Order: sequence, then C-alpha cells, then structure tokens
Amino acid sequence: MRIGLQEELDTLQASLMEEGDLVLRALRGSFEALEQRDPELADEVIAFDDEVDKRYRSIEEGIESLLARQTPVAGDLRQVLALLHNNLHLERMADYCVTIAKLTKLAYGIAPDAKLMESFDEMASRAEHMIKVALDAFAQRDLEGAESLVELDELIDRANRRAVQHVLALGSNPELREWGLRMIVVSRCLERIGDHAVDIGEQTAYLVTGEFREFTDASH
Amino acid sequence: MSVTTLRAERPRGRTSSAVFKAFLYVSIGVGIATLGTLLITVVAKGWKYVDLVLLLEPPSADPQIAGARPAILATIYLGLLLIAFSVPIGVGTAIYMEEYANRDRWYNRLLEVNIQNLAAVPSIVYGILGLAFLVRGIGLGRVLLAGAMILTLVVLPTVIIAAREAIRAVPDSIRQGAYALGATKWQVIWRQVLPAATPGIATGSILALSRALGETAPLLLVGALTYVSFDPTILGDFTALPVQIYQWVARPQEDFRVLAASGIIVLLAILLTLNAFAIWIRNRYQRKW
Amino acid sequence: MSDTIPGVSMDRLVARQQQLPEPSQRDVVFDVDDLGVSYSGKPALKDVNLEIYRNFVTAFIGPSGCGKSTFIRCFNHMNALIPGAKIHGTIHYHGADLYGSEVDPVEVRKRIGMVFQKPNPFPKSIYDNVAFGPRVLGMTDDLDGRVERALEHAALWDEVKDRLKASALSLSGGQQQRLCIARCLAVEPEVILMDEPASALDPIATTRIEDLMHALKKDYTIVVVTHNMQQAARVADMTAFFSVERGEEGHRTGVLVEYDATPKIFTQPSDSRTEDYVTGRFG
Repeated sequence: MRIGLQEELDTLQASLMEEGDLVLRALRGSFEALEQRDPELADEVIAFDDEVDKRYRSIEEGIESLLARQTPVAGDLRQVLALLHNNLHLERMADYCVTIAKLTKLAYGIAPDAKLMESFDEMASRAEHMIKVALDAFAQRDLEGAESLVELDELIDRANRRAVQHVLALGSNPELREWGLRMIVVSRCLERIGDHAVDIGEQTAYLVTGEFREFTDASH
Repeated sequence: MSVTTLRAERPRGRTSSAVFKAFLYVSIGVGIATLGTLLITVVAKGWKYVDLVLLLEPPSADPQIAGARPAILATIYLGLLLIAFSVPIGVGTAIYMEEYANRDRWYNRLLEVNIQNLAAVPSIVYGILGLAFLVRGIGLGRVLLAGAMILTLVVLPTVIIAAREAIRAVPDSIRQGAYALGATKWQVIWRQVLPAATPGIATGSILALSRALGETAPLLLVGALTYVSFDPTILGDFTALPVQIYQWVARPQEDFRVLAASGIIVLLAILLTLNAFAIWIRNRYQRKW
Repeated sequence: MSDTIPGVSMDRLVARQQQLPEPSQRDVVFDVDDLGVSYSGKPALKDVNLEIYRNFVTAFIGPSGCGKSTFIRCFNHMNALIPGAKIHGTIHYHGADLYGSEVDPVEVRKRIGMVFQKPNPFPKSIYDNVAFGPRVLGMTDDLDGRVERALEHAALWDEVKDRLKASALSLSGGQQQRLCIARCLAVEPEVILMDEPASALDPIATTRIEDLMHALKKDYTIVVVTHNMQQAARVADMTAFFSVERGEEGHRTGVLVEYDATPKIFTQPSDSRTEDYVTGRFG
C-alpha cells in the first residue's frame, strides 16, 4: 500500500547512505592529506565537497517535495524528519573535512609531531567507525547500535582534551607552536565529527521510540 | 432529569392516531369482506361442476355434459396472440419514447399525451373501432384475429407505460458505462437496457394480459359468438371464456347458472395464476440499484 | 556498508528517483488548444491550453463548478451524450483532430476509456461485465484470456477468480470500482480517464486505487479528476488547477489557472490563486 510513498522514502534513504559513503571518502582523503602533508590531495578533498553539497541539496528538495505531496504521518513522518536532520549532520561532517584539508594546506610545510599524529590517526579511525555504525544503525533502526555511539564518542572526546595538553607541551619553537594551534582546530573538527555521529544516533532513537532525547548531557 | 419529565405531557396525538388506525382497519376490512364474499359465493355455487367435463367438452344444451372447451381454447389463443402483438409494439414504442425521442419536438409531446389518455379509454370504444375498421373496413370478418387485434389496442397503452417505467428505472450510469466502452446506441439498448428492464416489462405485460382476458364488451362487438361448439381457429368464428359465462348466465335453467359460476372459477383460476406468475417474476428479479 | 569506496553514482541516483523525463523527451498524447465548452449557449469552460503526456498521471483539481469534469469528458466524446453541449477549440490526439468531421465516437472510446465516480458495474456476472467491451467491439478471440488479464491488471483477479459467474453487484464498493477499471482495460485502451474514481470509496479502497494508478501508468496514460487535492498530490505527475471566473450576469465559467509538475504546484505555485487553493485558504 502507498507504493509511491514507500518508493520515495526508500530512495531518500538510499541517497542518504550514498551521501554517507561520500563523507567517509572525504574523511579518509582529508586525513591522508594531513598525514602525507600533500597539499594537492587537500585541494581535491576541498573540491570534492561539491559532490556532497549536490547530494545534500537533492535530498533536501526530495524531502520538501515528499512532505508537500505525500503528507506522511506517524512513523513515516519521523523517518522524514530524521532524514532531514541526518542530511544536515552529514553535510556538516563534510564541511569539517574541508576545514581539516584547509588546515593541512596551511601547515604542511612544518614537520609534524609524531605522537600527536598517532593520536589523530586513532581519532580519525574512530570517527570513521562511528559514521559507519551511526548510518548502519539508522538503516536498520537499531536502537542499541545507536546508543553504543556514546561510548565510542568518549575516546574521541578524551583524545581531544589530551591534544590541548600535548600542544602546550610542544615547546616554544614558533613554527611548531603555529602548527600546534592549527592542530588543535583539527582535533576539534574530528571531535565535532564524532558529535554529529552521535546526533545521527539520537535521530535513530527518535525514529524508533518517537521521543527525542539527548544521549548525554552536552556539557563536555 | 427524572423519569417523570420523560413521560408524555398530554396524550396529544394519541386520539387522532387511534382514530386513524381504526379507519385503516375498517378500510381493509371492507375490501377483504367484499372480495371474500364474492369468492365464497362463486366457489360455493360453482364448485359442483368444476371437473374435466367443464374443461374438455364443448357446450351443449344439456348442462350435464356442457363444457367450455372452445371458450378456454379461444381465451388461450387470444392470450398468445395478444402477447405476440402487444409486447413488440409496446416495447418498441417505449424504447423510442425513452431513448430516441427528443422531448422538445411537438409530435413527441403529442405522442406522450396520447398514450396517457388512451389508457383511460373504455374498452367498448375499442370494440366499436374494431368493428368499423377491422371487421368491416378491411373485411377481416368476425374472427379470432380481429378479437386479438382489438384487445391488443386495449392493453397497448398499459404495456407501453409499464415498459417505459421499466426502461426509465435502468440507471443512466449503466448507459454511460456502456457508451464509454465503445458501444453504439443500439448495442447499449439491446445488451444493457432491455435485459435490465425485462423483469419490469414482463410484469407489466402479464398484468395487462390478465386484464385483457377478462374483457367481454369489445369481443362481443367484434363478433364473439355466444354459442360456439367447435374448436376455434385464428381466422374462424370464436368465443371467449367471459362471453361463454355471459351466455350461460342468460340461460333460464338453474344448472346453467351453476355452470356459469364454474366458468367464473376457471377464469379466476387462470387470472390468479397469471398474476401470481407476474409477482413471482417481479420478486425473483427485484434489483437493488 | 562495505569498506571499499564506492564510486560517485549520480546516474544510479537519478534513475532511482524516477525523475520525470525532460519536457523535450515527453510524448504528447493530447494537445488542447483554446478549448471551451458551453451547455445550451452558456459557457462552462473556456480558453484551456495544455498538453497531456504519455505514461504520465495527470490530475485536474479545482473547486466545484470549475469545469474539470466537463473538460475530461471532452477527451472521449462523452459530452456528446448531453444535449446542448458544444465544443469550441480543438483537441489533437496524436496529431489528429479529435472532433474532426469523420471521427467516430466508438473508435475514440475504444482507445480512450473512462472510469466513473460511482462504481457502475452492469447487473450481470463479473465475467460478463469484463467481457462486455470486447464483445461489443468484436474482440472475441481468447475472451477468457482477455478477461483474466484485465482482472489481473486491475489487481482483482485473485479475489474473484473462483467466482467469475457471481453477480457483479455482490462485490464491495472498492472491488466494484476495480471491476470497472478491469472492464475498461479489457478493450486495451491507450488512455484511461478517471472522473473522481475514489470519492465514493473508503480510505483503504482509495489507497488501493491510487496504488493501482501508480502501477498502471507504466502501460497507460492516465488522466484523473479529483476534488481531493491531496490525492492529486500523491498520485499525479502533472497537475492542472482550474478555477471559477464570474462573468457578466454573475455567470460562472471554468478556466485553467496553472499547469505544471506536481511537486512545483504543491511547493511553489506560480499563481496566487493556486497557492490559495492548495493551502486550503479558499476553495
């Protein structure tokens, strides 16, 4: 029943998943550029954001059209609203990848601190993992999977806090200090990407339970 | 809110309701009583002579062996001819008036008014018509066929009206649906309207037929003889059951009066059977649109 | 989700989203030029210009009295059954003038079928209902097969296949309407006109009819009149909005206000009258 509505919902869902694929690709690309200190790769990542934006707009328009024409209610309505929010979260994640790439372009000339890079490697892997978990949980309507994102986010948050300490301990070399400040922003970007993944988890919980609640207090 | 407030204040309409109800019962009573009396007297009187002799023997001067065979046969022939003439003509006219005629044209309005009026014309007028035009005018003579044609005229307005009602009762949505599928006007009428109207047409025709079979006056005028002892043929002399009864009643002997009553029983039996058949058709094919 | 990086798949996305073909790639079935309809001299509809595209569902919406039912009946010559009805302007069907002097209404109705507002099954058996069209048009080869296919396309076969001889009037309202659709499909039309097909049905039956329209549009061109604009929003690819104009002497005539892709009509209509109507501010 309501074949038309179901087809449109499925299409939007599939588009969102594809947007997620693009975001993963952007994240990997931006981190690789940072690690390899490759400004050309960073430029590619920045240009790649256009693809994500196209997807984003297309999904937005699709949702607008669906709401106007199909008047979804109950679970269907929650799914559409969750798609709307998750679309935004993915787009913001992609923007953070662009920020990382831009910072790479500014800081590639300076020799990096190995330990901090190792920490970033972990954070980026964790962020990548969280994006996959979040989108899978959304597609499967898996409440437990969504709630597990909180714990996963913990590691990134702690690593982010340690990054500040680490940068302060870098010493007084002005170049290194500049590099350090930029890296704090990178760290912050990765931490925000993790937060957006948790937000996607919250949307999944809303879709399944009908109630919207923040998974954790946002005070940290 | 207590029960007392729900009780009727004054029996305002009660008396008039009761009076009205009593009036209705009295009316029914009168109808039933009259009919009952008639039936009982006839049956009581005529039952004696209702037997195969009555049905199979020709009339004779001796009431013991007198029968009504020629009259019964003639009535049956008249009935069959009547159906054969009145149904096609009546249904055809009804189809024209309901499906083809443009109501704005003067001749169609004239037709409409005419048919309504003809239904009310006394049957003896048709008898005179028949005598003048059929028996004498075209020289048909005083034959069964003439009687059948006259009776056709008598019942035709009724058949037309019944057929029109039946055709009109077919909802327009059925026609629209058939047209939308690519049917021509004739196909719509022949395949949808007429089949759907058939029960109504059948009922109307049978009722008209049963009225006609009881007609006496026009048949007399057209030449039904009062004493016929041979089996009738279409183009020969004839009589009919009502006429035969009339003839018997006119005889002095008491036995013939009894025979007349028997004849009435036979005639009533035929008419009641036909009417019951009509009702059965109507009930069986009753449609809820 | 796998670990391999998928390529960018814009094409897959486009295909899956079932975009309407671009205007240049649409097949025109009906081309309506300056069409007007009057009953006994009084204009009921005027100045209609639009094109109906193949394999689209096109909806006509608007307040009562706006002439949408009158308009749809022009496509299969059903207005000819109303005395005093006159058509002005032209409708071209695949380039041929639908109201040319030599056009036979029977031929037109063979190709352009109609389903009505109140289900109107014939008082015959289910089989005879569906077989009626083929019989009157002389398509009597493989009648059983035609009936079965028509009932299948109308999503009714499974429910009635064991009782084809039963009276059509024994079906429920929703089933009767699907029977009427099957009846229409049995003559293999190209276009199906639907005049408020679900307005006499309960919501479940309505949804089934709408799903059916969605399925049928792959093979047929569908034009539907509906007073329920949400229904038009759900099923139609193109939507035409009609409104009422008051002429001198207060006479009401229908006019076409806007005709566009359905998402556009319901998200950014160009005409303020359309906006007022779809938002429910007037109607």
